[in-house]
Amino acid sequence: MATSVRPDLEEVFRREYRRVVGVAARVLGSGDQAEDVAQEVFLSFSRSSVPAGEAGGWLSVAAAHTALNLIRSGRRRSSREETVAAATDPVVPDVAEAVLTEHDRARVRAGLARLPRTQAVALVLRHSGLSYAEVAAALDLSPGSIGTTVRRAESALRKELNRHASSD
Amino acid sequence: MRHPTEGVLRRLIDEPAGVSDADRRHVADCSRCLSDLAAARSDAELVGTALAAGSAADVDAGWARLSAAARAGAPRPAATTHRGSRFRAALRRPAVAALALGVVLAGAGTAAANDWLQIFRTEDVAAVGLSTAELVALPDLTAYGDVTFTGEDGLHAVPDAATAARESGLDLPEVDTLPSGVTGEPTYQVGGEVSATFTFSAERAARAAGGTLPPPPPGLDGSSVRLVAGPGVAQVWTSSSGVPALVVGRAVAPTAFSSGVPFETVRDYLLSLPGLPGDVAAQLRTFTADGSTLPVPVPSDYVSTSTATVDGAEATVLESRDQALAAVVWVEDGLVTVVAGALDTDEVLTVARALR
Repeated sequence: MATSVRPDLEEVFRREYRRVVGVAARVLGSGDQAEDVAQEVFLSFSRSSVPAGEAGGWLSVAAAHTALNLIRSGRRRSSREETVAAATDPVVPDVAEAVLTEHDRARVRAGLARLPRTQAVALVLRHSGLSYAEVAAALDLSPGSIGTTVRRAESALRKELNRHASSD
Repeated sequence: MRHPTEGVLRRLIDEPAGVSDADRRHVADCSRCLSDLAAARSDAELVGTALAAGSAADVDAGWARLSAAARAGAPRPAATTHRGSRFRAALRRPAVAALALGVVLAGAGTAAANDWLQIFRTEDVAAVGLSTAELVALPDLTAYGDVTFTGEDGLHAVPDAATAARESGLDLPEVDTLPSGVTGEPTYQVGGEVSATFTFSAERAARAAGGTLPPPPPGLDGSSVRLVAGPGVAQVWTSSSGVPALVVGRAVAPTAFSSGVPFETVRDYLLSLPGLPGDVAAQLRTFTADGSTLPVPVPSDYVSTSTATVDGAEATVLESRDQALAAVVWVEDGLVTVVAGALDTDEVLTVARALR
């Protein structure tokens, strides 16, 4: 046994795993890769001394960073995914989603990688269901600043889509 | 009454109870705020839809995988079937970390900008040990200022060696003899020049550190440092299972520029900021004393490092502790070359030394 594993690992894992996968999946758009990221993040957590009470925020932030690093450094893969996605646009199931093609989603994810990192992480955490207070605590920001941070990120991503839409 | 901020309007969409009664009353009667609120809601819904990810992660299966990895003390949890993604992760992580720390040490931009003073030209590569936990927790520099990246279109495939050479402007390293188990023709990937610019903000840095930062040296606030690297080219041999078996890549090595403040001033101050482990900061100071070494941070609990000689140049050798992956990196004449693969150290060195 090369490393000692913290005793609260299983409890934290069972409580947080789905959400951590969800955070990574929002960034990556891929369930399989998101589970790989979650495993890596939990393994780091298992060797850390992060207090259990802060585990949820720490894990979510680490998952967002790790996933963003992947798309930032893995453009080759994402551009291939975009190509594949563009070729296989599915029939979208409802009106709200009908406005976005898979291609648009891939573009939003690419845009995510270009945002200032704090904005990108705050956005992903918020859309993964963390409350404003939880996002603020996880990123060590003031709760009052989260709305502005998230709003700016969304506005930038909207512009990203519009820019592509007008150039298509 | 003043209009609530865009942040307050945004929170009104998600958590109306978190917004004061006065602000809510104002918005209800203000056509401008209602219009801004509608725009915010529309953007939020659009982005929410774009990021939606159907995921039905199996907690029991996930726990079985993690506990096996943790019990085994395995540096990475991926099973053998995930060797491909481990391979890519191993190649990526040092690069990502190098870029992150490169921004600390340097920053980036186009070399063409005349008012930028060259402060750093890579002549050497050295490994810096980091644990994977620290790698995950590398300081987010956006807390200390603005970081902008350009030319991040990534690698794209080109059909043949001639096109790769033409697009990158580089001579492709020719592999003499492939290691056993690696066969067939490579695919070619080309990437353009990338740059990153970091502009320090004393105000943001102080906020990030809760107001306890050491005072920045005069002239640092608002000054920028830039790191520029590339173009680059890679030849990738893929095994029959689809896993990259051998990668031979070459790129124009990173060069750094400053908009005025001496490099050492920026480096020493940034290294003193909270977030970077003290021993790593100390290592970096040593490595960069002559301003010519590119530190490649490696997850030390996963990868071991050593040095070797390739064509007279000192090379850094990285090997995963399970010996599944090895890589050798060196810099010569302003070009950084890497040979990596699902191979052992001797095999990558043999390929590296026989490159033409």
